[in-house]
Amino acid sequence: MIAELRNVSKVFADPRSGRGLVALNDVSLSIEEGEFLCLVGSSGCGKSTTLNLMAGFEAPSRGQMLFRGEEVSGPSPERGVVFQEPSLFPWMSVLQNVMFSLQDGGARKAVREERAMEQLRLVGLDSFAHARPNDLSGGMKQRVAIARTLAMEPEMLLMDEPFGSLDEQTRRKLDNEALSLWQRERKTVVFVTHNIDEALTLGTRVVLMSPSPGRIEREWHIDEAWPRDLSSPRMVSLRQEVVGMLQACPCANGAPRPSLLTLEED
Amino acid sequence: MARDLGNVLIGVAVIVAAWWLTAEAMIHLRGAAFPTPPEAFVALWEALLGAELNNATVYAHTQSSLSRWGAGYLIALAFGLVAGMAFGTAPRLHDAGMVAVYILQMVPGLAWIPIAMLIFGLGEAATVFIIAMTAIPPIVINTAGGIREVPTVFTRVAQMSGREDSSVFLHVLLPAASLSIINGMRIGLANGWRVLIAAEMVVGVALGLGFSIYQSRYSLDFTAAFVAIMVICVIGLTIEKLLFVKMENKVRNRLGIDREDDT
Repeated sequence: MIAELRNVSKVFADPRSGRGLVALNDVSLSIEEGEFLCLVGSSGCGKSTTLNLMAGFEAPSRGQMLFRGEEVSGPSPERGVVFQEPSLFPWMSVLQNVMFSLQDGGARKAVREERAMEQLRLVGLDSFAHARPNDLSGGMKQRVAIARTLAMEPEMLLMDEPFGSLDEQTRRKLDNEALSLWQRERKTVVFVTHNIDEALTLGTRVVLMSPSPGRIEREWHIDEAWPRDLSSPRMVSLRQEVVGMLQACPCANGAPRPSLLTLEED
Repeated sequence: MARDLGNVLIGVAVIVAAWWLTAEAMIHLRGAAFPTPPEAFVALWEALLGAELNNATVYAHTQSSLSRWGAGYLIALAFGLVAGMAFGTAPRLHDAGMVAVYILQMVPGLAWIPIAMLIFGLGEAATVFIIAMTAIPPIVINTAGGIREVPTVFTRVAQMSGREDSSVFLHVLLPAASLSIINGMRIGLANGWRVLIAAEMVVGVALGLGFSIYQSRYSLDFTAAFVAIMVICVIGLTIEKLLFVKMENKVRNRLGIDREDDT
């Protein structure tokens, strides 16, 4: 086990009503070393909040967020994040963006530059090292963001709908790249997505979350080998199961947004 | 470029036409000695050649105005940038601090005169104080606002890379907010320049473009006032359009956002 949420609740203050919005209610989840864990669920189910807790951007309101047995006290290079929104600094070149995330810890600039170039080579963008992020396509930007995060050599890779804003074709391509990257390095990956097919294609485990308040509904271990055929009988029935559970949730279909609750209400 | 020049010429023509019509109307209806554009331009030319306006050359007036403006603006920059950065990074300071800044911003330029006189008496310091007080609020507001609007994801990238707060501020918040900061500096500069006329009413020394305008109430040399007004407009526009537009374009380019603007 590399990380663990132990009875975690997260409440955000709603600025308009002043009441608490429960994003997560008593969630417990263990992340195993080397697994590719996909968190799925409709919007508002707390999957991004869960990721932010693991990253250390947010602290639990109740319960504990543990990494290697110790309580997470803030963000750290050991837990690298790939964000959904554009996160490259537009005022830096692609290379500078990757170098920015390298701890200088005594390493000379030439050494850091070589390491950054190596990561860019791995995502096939070394020839764009001196381009500006705004000159790149959405898919290329996300590849650079991945290279930047990997350059930090994190022990756990947290991906928050990293390809959610890309077109279908690019998304599939990058899914495959993410997969071969994981197969090469066997780093622990937590991958948030609302796309069930994406989760079934990638994950060794799929965890379904549901909203109002955010909680874990069910999980599936998938031991199918890659590349996976989503039209195989086993995957089709698995998919139906996940979709069925997602739709069974009262708020999955058309409910506007998670209602405001207090922690006491269950 | 040609179109820009055309727009400038049209804009200037509209102003000069309105001025001329007003001048002729006042001369004929009220018998007022309203300087017409030709008279004022001739006077401006003579002044540029060295003729005195209210006992000093236009160069001496301009120089003393510019140095007061510069002093007031430097003080405003120092206070405004420091306060803006503090408010931008500390939410608690921000909520209380900005109320004070908005109140200051509501004080009209002329209203600072009695306050300046009570603190500094008549003289140079009072003038500089008034210029600084009107330049500070936009600098604070835009600096703090620019920093607060930096996308959270940028800060998070830096934090997860293990950067210290000081490094996040220097390498992420400042560059990301720089356009807004420059904008505040520009508004502050323009505010200070515009309040110069009011500020020079309390100046002790008989020098300055604003003083010169004010003085024409007594000397009845209204043409001299128009010369000073023209000089003030030209200097203000030159600094704002040339200096700041250049600086802004440079920063835009450095920030990598020039292309988005083109499309």
